[in-house]
Amino acid sequence: MGLSRREFIKRTAALTAASYVGIDLPFSNEQEAHASDADSWHKGTCRLCGSGCRLELGVKNGKAVALRGITKSRTNMGYLCMKGMLFYKLMGNNHPERLKKPLYRARKDQPFKEISWDEALDIAAKEFAKAVKQYGNDSVAYYGSGQALTEETYIFQKVMRGGLKTNNVEGNPRLCMASAVGGYITSFGADEPIGSYTNFERASCFFIIGSNTAEAHPVLFRRIMRRKLDNKDTVKVINADPRVSPTSRIADLHLQFNPGTDLALLNAMAYVIVEENLYDEDFLKNYAVFRMGKEKKQVDFAKYKSFVKDYSPEKAARICGGNITPEKIRQAARWFAKSEGTMSIWTMGINQRKRGVWANNLIHNLHILTGQLCKPGADSFSLTGQPNACGGVREGGGLCHILPAHRLVKKDKLRHEVERLWGIPEGRIPPKPGYHTVAMFEAVNQGKIKAIWINCTSPAQSLPNCDKYRKGMRREDVFMVVTDIFPTKTTELANLILPTAFIFEKTGVYGCTERRSQLTAKAVDAPGEAKPEVWIVREWALRLAKELNDPVIKKCVEPFLGKEPDYELPKAIWDEYTQKLTKGRDNDLRGATYDVLKKLPDGVQWPAPTKEWALKGGTDIKFVRGLDPLADKHAKNDLPYQFYGPAHPDKKLWIWLRPQKGPAEMPDSEYPFYLSTGRVIDHWHTASMTGRIKELMRANPYAYVEINPKDAEKLGIKPGDMVEVVSRRGRNVLPAKIYVGPCEGMVFVYWHDQAEDRMINRVTKDAFDPGSKEPEFKICACRIKKVSGPRPLKPFLVQMKA
Amino acid sequence: MPVGGFVINVDPDRIEESIKKLTSFRGVEIHGSDEKGNVIAVFESSNSHEMEEMVKEIMKIETVLSVGLTYFNAEDEVEGNANQG
Ligand code: SF4
Repeated sequence: MGLSRREFIKRTAALTAASYVGIDLPFSNEQEAHASDADSWHKGTCRLCGSGCRLELGVKNGKAVALRGITKSRTNMGYLCMKGMLFYKLMGNNHPERLKKPLYRARKDQPFKEISWDEALDIAAKEFAKAVKQYGNDSVAYYGSGQALTEETYIFQKVMRGGLKTNNVEGNPRLCMASAVGGYITSFGADEPIGSYTNFERASCFFIIGSNTAEAHPVLFRRIMRRKLDNKDTVKVINADPRVSPTSRIADLHLQFNPGTDLALLNAMAYVIVEENLYDEDFLKNYAVFRMGKEKKQVDFAKYKSFVKDYSPEKAARICGGNITPEKIRQAARWFAKSEGTMSIWTMGINQRKRGVWANNLIHNLHILTGQLCKPGADSFSLTGQPNACGGVREGGGLCHILPAHRLVKKDKLRHEVERLWGIPEGRIPPKPGYHTVAMFEAVNQGKIKAIWINCTSPAQSLPNCDKYRKGMRREDVFMVVTDIFPTKTTELANLILPTAFIFEKTGVYGCTERRSQLTAKAVDAPGEAKPEVWIVREWALRLAKELNDPVIKKCVEPFLGKEPDYELPKAIWDEYTQKLTKGRDNDLRGATYDVLKKLPDGVQWPAPTKEWALKGGTDIKFVRGLDPLADKHAKNDLPYQFYGPAHPDKKLWIWLRPQKGPAEMPDSEYPFYLSTGRVIDHWHTASMTGRIKELMRANPYAYVEINPKDAEKLGIKPGDMVEVVSRRGRNVLPAKIYVGPCEGMVFVYWHDQAEDRMINRVTKDAFDPGSKEPEFKICACRIKKVSGPRPLKPFLVQMKA
Repeated sequence: MPVGGFVINVDPDRIEESIKKLTSFRGVEIHGSDEKGNVIAVFESSNSHEMEEMVKEIMKIETVLSVGLTYFNAEDEVEGNANQG
């Protein structure tokens, strides 16, 4: 007799789990004559976080009903976290709050009315054309997202630059990884990490700084944890952070420094490496030079040595405060330098800083000094927060100063190359970069931007000091289009809301942290009239061409005319981008066609210039001859590593002399606390998605302020008390969580909550890094005060008013 | 009634003790383990909220280091439209 269907599903669950770790179970399901657990399975990528976990969606009767990880995927080996397990609840008709119809209002103080797509696209085209005619091309802007598919970012920026003749193309990756981009380019001459996740299984020392990997990248953390547990005595984990987090659990050494003193700590580690002769002399001789200042002046090793002399562990320990002792710094430096392979990992704690690029440089310095690069387990690896910040925005040309495939706007040759590849007249793309994110919303405030398109992101909540920028977005003379799947703090300020398809409801590519492009094809229908963005942009561009009587705008979308929007259209866009634009560039993706991507369980890591190379998975480690086809192609000598990155004409790695610099705003007598912000495991960014999954919302229904027990005692604050957090910019009132997380003198608030009283970006500061223009979300000054005892609180999400 | 397949990582020095604790949860079946501390578990709950709660509770066990989901089936929940926000 066969099994019941329920038993069958339970066995499937057990067998799937067991297959991950190679455990044999005493039963199999092969003999069972049951209908399988789904009608069909569809490969794709998780919609949340930058890990890029691969999974298969089980569809039954047209509905998403089951999920399983893909064990052969080199990103996640099949594992998923709870967010990855539950996001199917937002798909198709599974969620009642999905946006399903275009909505419009002429004035922002009016209610929205449902309109047809024809009307909506006409309005969007007319308003953008009107702004261009009256105020010039730079009066319009696009603000996109590291969650948009690569095809979407690519076509948006093509129409903006080639069609509307403006470089006002930005996106939220400016808020999260611009400093990492700046760091990679200035240190290694090329953007994005050298190695891959495979180093998690090969590293002997992990240096985790400014990253709560356990909560922000749980599935990657699992790999680090496994490596540590399987090699308890030989693998060392150093965690450096002003806050103790779940990531610290596996650390052998926790370095808790005061916010903003990280540059001193990193320079002090370099001091120890130099003082104790732990550097790799051959590596330095063959591959590195030392540089300083704006002019990038080259200096010698002696000069560098005298520079780090100023950061003795004793002095740095005094600057860093917290639990830092000179001995801890020495220990960390020794483990770092002496291990067989050291892997550094960081995210926003390093990037979202006034000197984020410098902090990135100083981590890279340690790797260059010790030769901890390009060999197994050795890597300087920035983790990405969003699923397609790397693939779509960094590579696809989604920021104001970059064109597709790592080309700088300001380089005439590269700009003209793009114009030629697009078949549009030379000079069509302006030579000047557009507004970076903070400048863009400042321009909105000043009424310089008259029409803005915001796609798949919610700046009204995610910009630092957001009240200041919401004022501009509220202006009646600024026309705002928002494309999204749910109502957000930003749709509240829009004139036109266009409902879009979600992942698995459309087709396209995400490129995750490790240079890996992965395809997700459509598996279920989008709800109501929601449409894929690529269709929206194409149709809008055709109307714009008419309104402005400009055939070049039409030319930008001509290769895509007549294509069916669910698969053929994104495929044609991907083909143009990869075959034409990435050809010969360092992110050469010509081998990664849709057909190749479909064949692989995970995807392809660039460089992947040919199909043969792509079918092997692409390039695991860049710059190594024999492992990276471009290292062979560009080889200048017989050395095993070839640093051919486009930004360093000398083809060397650059060690930078960068001094300690504090944050833009330091605590003082009026605002005596540091305020830092971050995430919890259950939510993601502005919670417009995770907040709508009731399991995740119930687990974390509202934000709180974490206060160190010693500070709480001094101020008479008890768990659950309502506490006001006030800065020079704004105020929140949040329940207190008394917790040995933040160091003394620092409070921490997570930034997902949409309730006005608990939206922490009303309090944060909009100072930004002068190099990367990334804002300093991680540090500002605040004061805290108990305002009442515990109060009952309700979760809050923006709803669409009927 | 969702069903989830999990690999639970427990402290390799305290496997027996961890499995004992895990089996005391209602709706948790243990199907196997190895010397590295990988434990194969199937969770069954009346809805996916309860499943999330189970994961949270299990994470609280001192010897449990991580709970990794590998398979999830919620067909009757989706059919029954259990996703009201
Ligand atoms: S770790 Fe990130 S990509 Fe992986 S399942 Fe969780 S949210 Fe998705």
